[in-house]
Amino acid sequence: MPLAEGASAPVTSQSSSTTSSAAGATSDSNAQSSTRQPPPETKESIWVRRLVVLSFWLVVLLLGLPVWWKTTAIYRAELPLQDMTDWADDKVCKPVFPLRVAVEASLPLQDAHNLLRTTQHAIDDLNEFSAHHLRLILAESHNSANASQEVVSDGTRVTTDDEDIALAVRLIPVETGTTPRAHLQPYAPTLDVYYTPNQIPTPSSTGSPLASFIAQELHKIFEEEQALLSYLLSTTSTAYSGKTKPKTKTLSAEKTAEIERQFTRALKYASTYHLTFSLFSPTATPSGWEIESVLKHYVSPLLESFSAISNFTVDTQVQLYAEFSPSIHRPEHDESLNAWTLRKEDLSGFINAAEWPLSPSIGTGPTVNFVLYVPGQDQSPLLIKENGGNSWLIPQWGGVVILNPPLQDEGKQASTILTEDALAPAMHAFSNQLLSLLGLPQTPESLPLKLSTLKRVRLASLFFSASSTMGALARLTNALPSIPIPDAVAQSIDSTTKHLQEACNHLHEGRFQGALEHARIAEAEAEKAFFERSMVGQVYFPDEHKVAVYLPLLGPVAVPLLMAGLKEIKSLLKRS
Amino acid sequence: MDQQKALLFGAAAAVRLFLFTAFPSLPSLLAGRVEVSTPVTSFKRLQEGLFLYVHNVSPYDGGVYHQAPLLLPLFSLLPNPSHYPFATNLLYTAVDLLGAHALMLVADSGQSITTRLSKSSRKDLRWNSAAVAASFLFNPFTLAACIARSTSALTNLFVLLALAKASQGASITFILSLSIASYLSMHPLLLFPPLLILCYDVRASKSKVAPSPLSFTIVHAVALVVTLCGLLYVSALLMGSWEFLSATYGVRLLLPDLTPNVGLWWYFFTEMFDSFREFFLGVFWLHVVSYMPGLTIRLRKQPLYVATTLTGIFAVFTPYPSIADAALYLSLVPLFRHLFPLMRYSFLASAVVLYASFLGPTFYHLWIYAGSGNANFFYAITLVWSLGFSIIIGDSLYAVLRDELDVERPELRGKEVARI
Repeated sequence: MPLAEGASAPVTSQSSSTTSSAAGATSDSNAQSSTRQPPPETKESIWVRRLVVLSFWLVVLLLGLPVWWKTTAIYRAELPLQDMTDWADDKVCKPVFPLRVAVEASLPLQDAHNLLRTTQHAIDDLNEFSAHHLRLILAESHNSANASQEVVSDGTRVTTDDEDIALAVRLIPVETGTTPRAHLQPYAPTLDVYYTPNQIPTPSSTGSPLASFIAQELHKIFEEEQALLSYLLSTTSTAYSGKTKPKTKTLSAEKTAEIERQFTRALKYASTYHLTFSLFSPTATPSGWEIESVLKHYVSPLLESFSAISNFTVDTQVQLYAEFSPSIHRPEHDESLNAWTLRKEDLSGFINAAEWPLSPSIGTGPTVNFVLYVPGQDQSPLLIKENGGNSWLIPQWGGVVILNPPLQDEGKQASTILTEDALAPAMHAFSNQLLSLLGLPQTPESLPLKLSTLKRVRLASLFFSASSTMGALARLTNALPSIPIPDAVAQSIDSTTKHLQEACNHLHEGRFQGALEHARIAEAEAEKAFFERSMVGQVYFPDEHKVAVYLPLLGPVAVPLLMAGLKEIKSLLKRS
Repeated sequence: MDQQKALLFGAAAAVRLFLFTAFPSLPSLLAGRVEVSTPVTSFKRLQEGLFLYVHNVSPYDGGVYHQAPLLLPLFSLLPNPSHYPFATNLLYTAVDLLGAHALMLVADSGQSITTRLSKSSRKDLRWNSAAVAASFLFNPFTLAACIARSTSALTNLFVLLALAKASQGASITFILSLSIASYLSMHPLLLFPPLLILCYDVRASKSKVAPSPLSFTIVHAVALVVTLCGLLYVSALLMGSWEFLSATYGVRLLLPDLTPNVGLWWYFFTEMFDSFREFFLGVFWLHVVSYMPGLTIRLRKQPLYVATTLTGIFAVFTPYPSIADAALYLSLVPLFRHLFPLMRYSFLASAVVLYASFLGPTFYHLWIYAGSGNANFFYAITLVWSLGFSIIIGDSLYAVLRDELDVERPELRGKEVARI
């Protein structure tokens, strides 16, 4: 600022003797200069000076302040904060899981209704978890031709087109065997209940062994699902952990631990997973595997059954001369087993992350890795020391199987291609690993039921995740007034609430597939809003730091401006 | 006198044409130097824009060309400079000679020494106009800008023309050249108030009755606005849309291109937090603007000096300065030969500027090509460069105030003074 001093202060003189004298003579010169005052400034020069100071101040005030105001204002789009908090607190929508169970009985209508009523009573008595309840409906398959149900003529199988029927209970009258007895079909959502006709409750009776048996069976089937859901509710949803706690099913500690283990093992939900099957071998053999046909036989059917929940992409690779991680103990030879053994605690370090080309993520979804390791002849068979097993699961990452090549006769070359038969055990292991990585529950025994349970669990976790993300965003917005909120965030929040509402409606009507779709979109939108990039830029920029931004440049400019302004005001006041 | 002038101009033209023809790679070498060519004046970018324009594509589409649209039809008249560079070289030589001519007119008018309201006590101490023109024509910075064919040579020409016409009191040509200069590079618009005062003073001293200051101001301001709007409108007609505004003046205002240059902005804004970028753009521009009213009011009696100092401030504080801007200021300073004895730091200032001009290219080389330095090296040198110019500006301000005091109180002449 060469100008500030030059322009705003006039130049006047002192006597030549004072300024040319040495520093020691200052007192002397002060005395002299007090005797010879400089002549008073002319009126004109005073006014020129005032105008100059004023012109600087006008630039600052008229242009500088608006610029400051305009450029440092933080744009905050209007967010429905109250709604967002309400969603997070489950005030808007209490997720409920009304499961419809179709009962199919070749009984007179009156008796059937009667049986239904008593069974329903029994179920309601057993149920401790209000959000998850079973509702029995009568599948009038024998009396009327309901469009949604189809009776296969031979009577062995009833397929229900209606996806919203969680389970079909078929009452089959039998004459022999212990009755009542139940059989859950492993590949259909059907429970066959065998009974003798005399077990049908009479209209007058309030309870019957058949009704309570059915209720018990149903309760047993859905027990794990209830446990999973109530675990989710108690951990993620504030409303259920608070005052309304008695409503939740109370879980035993070991059950909770077991569920926790399942959840930590499973991958986070994604709409698309990427599966990578890799063959690693420390030698040159085997150099190929019949993976395509194996995948078609063992994996594709499994993936197809999951198609309602997630999509999958698959790729495979073969890597030769790929030794496992050198950082773990070398395998030891165990004479008693006649095998090489790996210690259990080394299994977590088995993956050679530095050299094996297992990319963390291909495309959008998370990658699930399946590693097939074929040890060399000199280290074969390779087993796990503690239990003699040959496969293990790495939580949220994938699975490893050691495939020991069949012992070869001396001199005979090991086959270079792994055939479908050789791969079959490994593929079974991979399938099991995939199921637990995807979070498929252990019970009940029927795969369709497991899948629909998984669907509801995923749906619940997506739903809670989306609403708690919204709550977190609302709290963030309140806690950090300095972060900007772009319009995109507001739009995402709008879309999240809309889809959550839709999901909620679907839930109340028991349409879980539709609810899953909406919850999935809602969760994606909520995440997008929460992780908006332009918002976080300012998060770590507290107000104190602004001083450091403003002061170094503006401070030196402001000081002469302020001093000159104050001086002029003072002289004005003195004069008047 | 005429013979002297002809000799000078002939020599200057010969030097330029010699450099152009004897070193055919020199123009493109200089055009690639960041000290000479900025994103808003580079000849290479002009050629890119020209190529697009000739092929009927909007020249601003590539995001490379940031110069005024009306330059395009002018340069499209010339033969392709990569094959027949002679016409372009001739044009730039002529531009420099015209600028020198304008500078001679300013020097001849004597407005730097004796104005209507003030008369320096050292009025006999002056260089003749040929010497002033020579200091412009043979200034290595001017030569470099000319050889690099930077379009700031054109801006300089029109600024000099505006100065010349204002110091002659020729309103129409003054307004016309100032509006073209502003149209080309925007910041010369800030020269309007001091040059208006200059023009008014000359007119008032020429005629018996001084024109009314208010109507004089209004007429000239309206004329300036009308010519500027006319130029912009013609540009819009030529381009078919108004998008050129954001590509030319928008770039100058918002600094999207952070290519290093000799100014202070680029480094500062590469380091700037994104959220404060706009605020500090405002601060930096206001800093440039804020000098104008204060200087104009304080030195109302010497408007030509105010205009000169403002060109110096432009050379230091605008977003895309180059050595061409410095050359303009350095060529105007010799008009104030009478202030030289009063300047206290002329040795320091010239040493600093020389130091920066030699070390600047060296440090840039170390940073970009050798890789043994970093951006701080070059930035430190641009700081020194700016410091040198600030010293010249501040020192000459001191000198002009001291000179004024000598006029007010002749008895203090030659004595030491102190500020109180």
